[in-house]
Amino acid sequence: MMPMMGMQPQIILLKEGTDTSQGTPQLVSNINACMALADTVRTTLGPRGMDKLIHDDKGRVTISNDGATIMKLLDVVHPAAKTLVDVSLSQDAEVGDGTTTVVILSGEFLREAKPFVEEGVHPRSIIKSYRQACNLAVSKVKELSVSLEGKGDDEKRELLLKCAATSLNSKLVSGEREFFAKMCVDAVSCLDASTLDLKMIGMKKVIGGGLRDSFLVDGVAFKKTFSYAGFEQQPKSFNNPKILLLNIELELKSEKENAEIRLDDPAQYQSIVDAEWNIIYDKLAKCADSGAQIVLSRLAIGDLGTQYFADRGIFCAGRVPEDDLQRMAKATGARMQTTVNNLDKAVLGTCERFEERQVGGERYNLFTGCTKARTATIVLRGGSEQFIDEAERSLHDAIMIVRRALKHAHVVAGGGAIDMELSRALRDHARSIPGKAQLFINAYAKALEAIPRQLCDNAGFDATDVLNKLRQKHALADGSGKYYGVDVNSGGVVNTFDAFVWEPALVKLNAIQSATEAACLILSVDETVKNPRSEAPDASPMGGRGGGMRGRGRGRGMMRR
Amino acid sequence: MAMGMPYGLQAMLKEGHKHFSGVEEAVMKNIEACKALAQMTKTSLGPNGMNKMVINHLEKLFVTSDASTIVTEMDVYHPAAKLLVMAAKAQAGEVGDATNLVLTLAGELLGNAEVLLRDGLHTSEIAEGYQRASDKALSVLESLVLPGTDTLDVKDKAAVALRLRGAISSKQLGYEDLLAPLIAEACIDVVPSNPHNFNVDNVRIVKIMGGALPDSQVVKGMVLKRDAEGSVKCVENAKVAVYAQGVDTSGPETKGTVLIKSAEELEGYSRSEEEKLEQYVKAIADSGAKVIVSGGAIGEMAMHFIEKYRLLALRIPSKFDMRRFCRATGAVAIVKLQAPQPDELGFAKQIEVRELGGANCVVLQQDASLGSVATLVLRGSTEGFLDDVERAVDDGINAYKALCRDARCVPAGGASEIEMARQVADFGKKQTGLDQYAIARFAEALEVVPRTIAENSGLQASEVLARLYAAHAQGQVNAGVCIESGAPKDLAAEGIMDVYAAKWWAVRLATDAVVTVLKVDQIIMAKQAGGPKPRAGDGDDD
Repeated sequence: MMPMMGMQPQIILLKEGTDTSQGTPQLVSNINACMALADTVRTTLGPRGMDKLIHDDKGRVTISNDGATIMKLLDVVHPAAKTLVDVSLSQDAEVGDGTTTVVILSGEFLREAKPFVEEGVHPRSIIKSYRQACNLAVSKVKELSVSLEGKGDDEKRELLLKCAATSLNSKLVSGEREFFAKMCVDAVSCLDASTLDLKMIGMKKVIGGGLRDSFLVDGVAFKKTFSYAGFEQQPKSFNNPKILLLNIELELKSEKENAEIRLDDPAQYQSIVDAEWNIIYDKLAKCADSGAQIVLSRLAIGDLGTQYFADRGIFCAGRVPEDDLQRMAKATGARMQTTVNNLDKAVLGTCERFEERQVGGERYNLFTGCTKARTATIVLRGGSEQFIDEAERSLHDAIMIVRRALKHAHVVAGGGAIDMELSRALRDHARSIPGKAQLFINAYAKALEAIPRQLCDNAGFDATDVLNKLRQKHALADGSGKYYGVDVNSGGVVNTFDAFVWEPALVKLNAIQSATEAACLILSVDETVKNPRSEAPDASPMGGRGGGMRGRGRGRGMMRR
Repeated sequence: MAMGMPYGLQAMLKEGHKHFSGVEEAVMKNIEACKALAQMTKTSLGPNGMNKMVINHLEKLFVTSDASTIVTEMDVYHPAAKLLVMAAKAQAGEVGDATNLVLTLAGELLGNAEVLLRDGLHTSEIAEGYQRASDKALSVLESLVLPGTDTLDVKDKAAVALRLRGAISSKQLGYEDLLAPLIAEACIDVVPSNPHNFNVDNVRIVKIMGGALPDSQVVKGMVLKRDAEGSVKCVENAKVAVYAQGVDTSGPETKGTVLIKSAEELEGYSRSEEEKLEQYVKAIADSGAKVIVSGGAIGEMAMHFIEKYRLLALRIPSKFDMRRFCRATGAVAIVKLQAPQPDELGFAKQIEVRELGGANCVVLQQDASLGSVATLVLRGSTEGFLDDVERAVDDGINAYKALCRDARCVPAGGASEIEMARQVADFGKKQTGLDQYAIARFAEALEVVPRTIAENSGLQASEVLARLYAAHAQGQVNAGVCIESGAPKDLAAEGIMDVYAAKWWAVRLATDAVVTVLKVDQIIMAKQAGGPKPRAGDGDDD
């Protein structure tokens, strides 16, 4: 028995349960996994793209056609396909839009590479050509982009509106794109031009009403907080109020957790109770004496405080969400206070107008006309929760686009026009080089056409037909056709630049670079080793051996071609 | 087994142990396992090496061609193969580069040893021959040092970048022109006046998803992936006070309750605490500091006063980052919350919050005269890609360290190996003993480097080797594989060189590991208990 068992541990190189696969078959299977993932999101591309309904394990329902959102919710476990999730998330972080594009492009680059891999081309050769093609494409995008620098403010605003409208066009809210594009541009132009901090744009959702009922507040808005008796006696509107922001509780409660009171004399009992009341009254008095007309606190304001302020004609709200309070601080110039001692005028902020307004079924506190306003709030209205959620994501994308366009004021023609032009340029280049690199660069060029093709497919047109028209336009020797892209309205081709279908060049640049990086990463893998999870203990050493042997054996079988 | 009378080893050891001995059972099997391991890493060798996707036991995904990472994360189980892993780790610790060479060479040496064993040689003869061959090879290697490379101005960016290219191009081909100057810049920023004391830890790498690799940059100072705490987001030419502990009202470590005896005490209680804290923060502000760095939490009340005195507050929870921050600013971490002495304050040229790839980061920017920490901010589209670039950069930094100590370089692209192989083979032919066969095999094993480079680049390996030998026989000792055409080419002319020390250690460690594996002729595995894993013991001669 011993010698027989003796054979086994010799062959176990890796821990039992380890799964290895190697060589071309596993590369092809990685490519297949990525293509499958890309196929999931490809139908969401473009203005006529479809939405996905995702029902997650917690029973939440999300309807979206934002690539990054879908990828995040899909919970991909395949190691290679995870790379695609990563690129789409990084596109989301860096640019904010084009998240579907980047996934489709990576998938398409891999799809084109697959036949070569199967024929036995060394993946490194493909990678090298892809990187070359990527560099060419990037420089071509830069060459084709149109700068918005040096234009007048009004003109610039027009251009930003166009960019936002293009982004919104492919979303659920495309019907109201003009309306929302304006809102996004207004919101972003409120921000501090040097940082353009996204956190300074608040997004509030109120169910009910139509999309058109959404509005922009040039300041801060938040839902009425939980209130105590006496709240209704407080005034609900002010002009130029003084605003005090607090980070303390205005409630009757024990001062410190670790303090204990020991009394020798029962007569002192009353004095202690009085002292506690004194402390809270003292705090309230200090707030009132500061001259503030509006008191907001991150923590609770109790019923005593509410009544006290009501008696003095002061508006108060407790338990205001922290981010809203921070935006209040930015908007009004008030500083958040953690103590009420030493309050001076400098810590108070102000705005032009405060009022409480009924929005749908909710009561909202609106602070408008903020003098130092570097913040804005968008209040979204809409029929259902999922719908508003998706609208919020769409607006987020559009806002990101506007931000990017402000920072890097270059745009390219959308609607697949830029992709067709890149594809043509690469094909031209491919013809001028000898060797197999020609094939790979052609493959890359073909992959780029996936964007206009998908636009047609999603819109229900004959993709081959439209693509041929586009190729013809882009092949015109005088270059007059370089702005032609898919016309999703008529099913033909149109000069998208003139039709104001614009995208910031940055979105395209980042998408091409990221997609190439991801595709190259996947192509460069020739072996996958999966260790067992450490939580699953190698409980029975004997039984485990056999399993380990099998795992190992499989890897060896595929090892050399 | 239970009923029979136990004898020999069985009588000695607990039931359930395993035991193998002899050439067939122990040595051959060990060789087989090591070969299998080397086979895995072999395809990652050289500039055109392939990546591996390794998912470790924590389900973390690695996509890399860095051999030391692969073998570490693969969790090698086989005792003999573990010896190779240890050799690779020793290489990583010693030079930080060329770990794959150790594994590949060791695997090849063992493969050749198997042939010798089948021919009837004894393991000790093989081991002896390998030792002598490796001594010869190392002396040949020394003669191959490229003239003019023994001195290097480690402060000259262009020269350093040129030397680093070799190390980078074997990991991230196509990005070496981008990364080498960045690494050189970062390293030169922090290299002390005595280059021998260069500390790898002073070059930090921060990976931020988004953008693409060309957006990467070097920051003299530090980049922390978190936001500043307060509303002050940017200061310039500021003094920095660093507190190792949290900045908050100081409470005693021992649990205790405050006893309040009267109403006055109750009213004054929180008041006095507030005043105390304000006093501290005011003292910090008065000392001229504009930045407060805390190792722990910053209390809400403390934050209030920090805001009041318009200080920039920063939290650095990691002790290591804290140490680096102190090095970068020259500050002393104060343990207790108290007013800092003037000599405890550090200085920062500029600290500001920047948005990098959708996340707010605190960037500490120092100028040339200040601080000794530089940070490489890497940008890329996926986490796996960034991790891989990070490892390449790590290798580059280690190569710089090696260059600081020993700037000598040898020809790359398999040129050194071929020349070593040629001369060792000649040397072997002059030997009279049985070890001449082992020496000849050693020479053959060295060919694995150019052959693998050629194979990984999709070239005809045998043809490439033949042409290389021809070139070397004609005296072109620097001729290596050109991965484009396969023709022999002097790569040193293009600035592709290998660090001498890395190669020296690789040959050395590979030989040592192989000799150790060969000298094992018995494996005894005790019954596996719940806890530690079974280990292989070097058995006594049977």
